Amino acid sequence: MTNTREITLTVNGTEHTIDVEPRQLLVHAIREELDMTGTHIGCDTGNCGACTVLKDGEPVKSCLMFATQADGSDLMTVEGMEELPEARGDLHPLQEGFREEHGLQCGYCTPGMLMSGKALLDENPDPSEAEIREAISGNLCRCTGYQNIVRSIEYAAEELEEVAAADGGTTAASTFDGEFDCGAANCCGGPSTDRDHDATEGGEHR
Amino acid sequence: MKPAQFEQHEPKTVEEAVSLLESLDDRAILSGGQSMVPMLRFRLAVPETIIDINRIESLDYLEEDDGWLKIGALARHADVEHSKLVAENYGSFADTAPLVADPQIRNRGTVAGSIAQADPKGDWGSVLLAHEGEVVAQGPDGERVIPADEFFLLPYDTTLDENELLTEIRVPTPAPREGSAYHKLKRKVGDYAMAGSAARLVLDDEGRIEQAGIGLTAVDITNVRATDAEEHLEGERPSSELFKRAGELAAEQSNPESDEHGDAGYKERMVNVLTQRALGDAAERAGLVKRRVSQ
Repeated sequence: MTNTREITLTVNGTEHTIDVEPRQLLVHAIREELDMTGTHIGCDTGNCGACTVLKDGEPVKSCLMFATQADGSDLMTVEGMEELPEARGDLHPLQEGFREEHGLQCGYCTPGMLMSGKALLDENPDPSEAEIREAISGNLCRCTGYQNIVRSIEYAAEELEEVAAADGGTTAASTFDGEFDCGAANCCGGPSTDRDHDATEGGEHR
Repeated sequence: MKPAQFEQHEPKTVEEAVSLLESLDDRAILSGGQSMVPMLRFRLAVPETIIDINRIESLDYLEEDDGWLKIGALARHADVEHSKLVAENYGSFADTAPLVADPQIRNRGTVAGSIAQADPKGDWGSVLLAHEGEVVAQGPDGERVIPADEFFLLPYDTTLDENELLTEIRVPTPAPREGSAYHKLKRKVGDYAMAGSAARLVLDDEGRIEQAGIGLTAVDITNVRATDAEEHLEGERPSSELFKRAGELAAEQSNPESDEHGDAGYKERMVNVLTQRALGDAAERAGLVKRRVSQ
């Protein structure tokens, strides 16, 4: 009685059409059908948040919904972070923050933390510590005690503010000038060229 | 673990969903899925068919209409959390929404689904009881309105008929001098309540309590009303002494079980304290200035 259904998911700007069983969880579709294993499965119970992705901009636990329920949705996973304009062809400020502030040890929770952090900063570019802690309250980390994760997100908020302040189109050009042929590491021959990404159109190429 | 295989239906209208309920035998309704999906994954639920109601757009609303605050079956916890209408007029709802689980779960889980799930540790049932709200269900023979007091039967069991779809939760719009609040004790962020208390007070022109509603979480086999405390409050003027006695009566009427989070005596004391705090906030929001809670 295996019955599959065709669904369309837009992940990090790229449209994918796949066949899934109704019982297939979104996280399994992302990892197994789309081979994007940045999104982790931690607890299998909906507690840990390692599987957090953005669905139409909102953080959701992809182990708590079926792939069919995301049919027609716009999803973002950790793989899409460095394709965003504010990443400027390198690590996204959030990713940079986690590196600078030691926001991870084993790294298992990190993709989910990044997604929750992204959702927070999209809504609230200048969050208080309490707001950051609330935003990541659905994400468990067993290594860091959260202090450094909070600092990492604070770092990103400051960094993004600077990016926004400098965003007259001048810094982007000077940053990339002479370093790359096209100004975007994963556009022309970078690690992610197997995927189309509309984000680069308006982003790194400015 | 993966859920067992199932057939899936995604009705677009309430009528379609109800006719599926009528024609199919072994089926379950999926709304927000934040409890249902884990149940399917652990195979605690192994239905042949899932009726996923998330595509029924007409059920996605949160509005005041005709003397009621109406919450459609697809309104998410986050919709309540971010609603200006709720923030301005419905203190208990505004208190409760951000205390439900965590941000990701609030983006998917629904208020109505939580009430239909009828977990005695769920928060919304207490709020519904305190407001003397109603549950609206659609069945093959049309719409049925079930008062909150007649809705909860047992853990995970309600008076919904098996062919009925819960379509709406509603509570009366507030009286001129009405206030409500919810207080919850949990071990850590995101947890279910160890105990919770929702209070709603309506004051008359002279500042006396005309109507009192108190709903308790996680201290009985269902969400329950603290009727002794309610009766004690009605006709009286709000005061910390009065609320202290109401807290004691609520604790006496509660029936918590000892577990790894605390023994029954501790939870009763928490019902007392949480009820006093909820009453204090409710009174303040109803237009009083005084607010004191004694332990």
